Amino acid sequence: MLAEQIRQDQIANDLANASTAGYKADRTSQHTFGELLLANSATGAVIGSQSTAVQVDRIVTDFSPTAARETGEALDFAISGEGFFAVQTAQGVRYTRNGQFTLDPQNRLVTAAGDPVLDSGGRPITGTDGVVDPRRIGIVNLTNPRKEGNSLVAGTAAGAATGAVRSGALEGSGANAARSMVDMIASMRAFEAGQKVIQTIDDTLGKAATQVGSVNA
Amino acid sequence: MLEAMNSAAAGMAAQQQKLDATANDLANTNTTGYKHQRVGFRDLVYEQTGRASAQGVRTGAGSAAVDAGRAFSQGVIQRTDRMLDVAVQGEGFLRIKLPDGREALTRDGNLHVDGAGNLTTTSGGLVQPAIKIPDGVTEDQIVIGRDGTVTAAGRRVGRLELVTVRAQAGLISNGDNAFVTSAASGAAVAAPRATSLTQGALESSNVDISQAMVEIIESQRAFQLSSKAIATADEMMGIANGVKR
Repeated sequence: MLAEQIRQDQIANDLANASTAGYKADRTSQHTFGELLLANSATGAVIGSQSTAVQVDRIVTDFSPTAARETGEALDFAISGEGFFAVQTAQGVRYTRNGQFTLDPQNRLVTAAGDPVLDSGGRPITGTDGVVDPRRIGIVNLTNPRKEGNSLVAGTAAGAATGAVRSGALEGSGANAARSMVDMIASMRAFEAGQKVIQTIDDTLGKAATQVGSVNA
Repeated sequence: MLEAMNSAAAGMAAQQQKLDATANDLANTNTTGYKHQRVGFRDLVYEQTGRASAQGVRTGAGSAAVDAGRAFSQGVIQRTDRMLDVAVQGEGFLRIKLPDGREALTRDGNLHVDGAGNLTTTSGGLVQPAIKIPDGVTEDQIVIGRDGTVTAAGRRVGRLELVTVRAQAGLISNGDNAFVTSAASGAAVAAPRATSLTQGALESSNVDISQAMVEIIESQRAFQLSSKAIATADEMMGIANGVKR
């Protein structure tokens, strides 16, 4: 039941980000705890193995590209294909696929949080007359990308990416509403099944406590 | 379980903000020189989950709305044939002095002559530097050139200055079609040479109604999806409570 709660938390986060540009959806994968080998205590014959419970061992993010959609804004950028925009943050270089940028008073291209977007040489990009040529924005491949919040991703840069940047469009959210709803229902029912198991065990224990050895039984 | 509820609630709050912004855009489809709002979203922090999960398993905390300023794309220029209407074409703003004394920028070129003969905007902002129309000059005798030069009955009386800022997204909307500069926008500087004024016309709002309607439907559905996540979390808490009969 606890593992299903975590799955539910993950699904709620996906649904909350159904409109976040460049958002990448998660998948929760569960794994059994150590299995016990059951044996007949009288004869020693092996009965089989029994699992003790499940735990969530990983949440995997699906970083595959999502379709871009036109916005007509000069400073909206989308990557078609693989790659991430590089952003200079206070914590170091981070990456993002959310291309909703603006220009700051120094005329640099910045994210909505005010962090400069970098070109392929790692330098900030300056705009001219409120426009930035999408070809000047650097995009990189990442190994071990990991979501950090604020639409940012941490990871190790691994060379220039194959994708192409286009302006006037934003990448849609990777959250799939229909799949999240189905997962949510399935997860809730699994949670309910857990409850029924607890109740059944409670019934059995109740019987053991009240009926075993009872004269009236 | 409460994380799921909080994440979903954050998502609903973010969608609500977007909905508010779109509603404001729609209310201003006929506002001269109105620029529509750019609202985006970002995801929130990812934290290690509690029990029943391995190390390194992190779930997110929902989403938040991001204000990316206004979209300063050109609105359609509409002819009005009123001599005191000017439309700004290209990047730039008229400089005005608000009734409270602050300087502001506007693209609303619906000008009037006040009791003292000064050129003002509809909401009473004085054009800067002040331009005085001499007594006895009728509206039809006022000519405003492409560069902003104002001539009244053949005599030059001043010039409408066009200015802009480095980062237009940093301008703070002050209501009455006026924007004030901020540290994020930088100070007002002269507008690019290509910017010009057209007399006898007004710039209409750059809100695209069909786009705004689609955005409203989308926000509403996303809002609904998050509310379903809350309902499900609630149901699961009910199930957990049902363990004890």
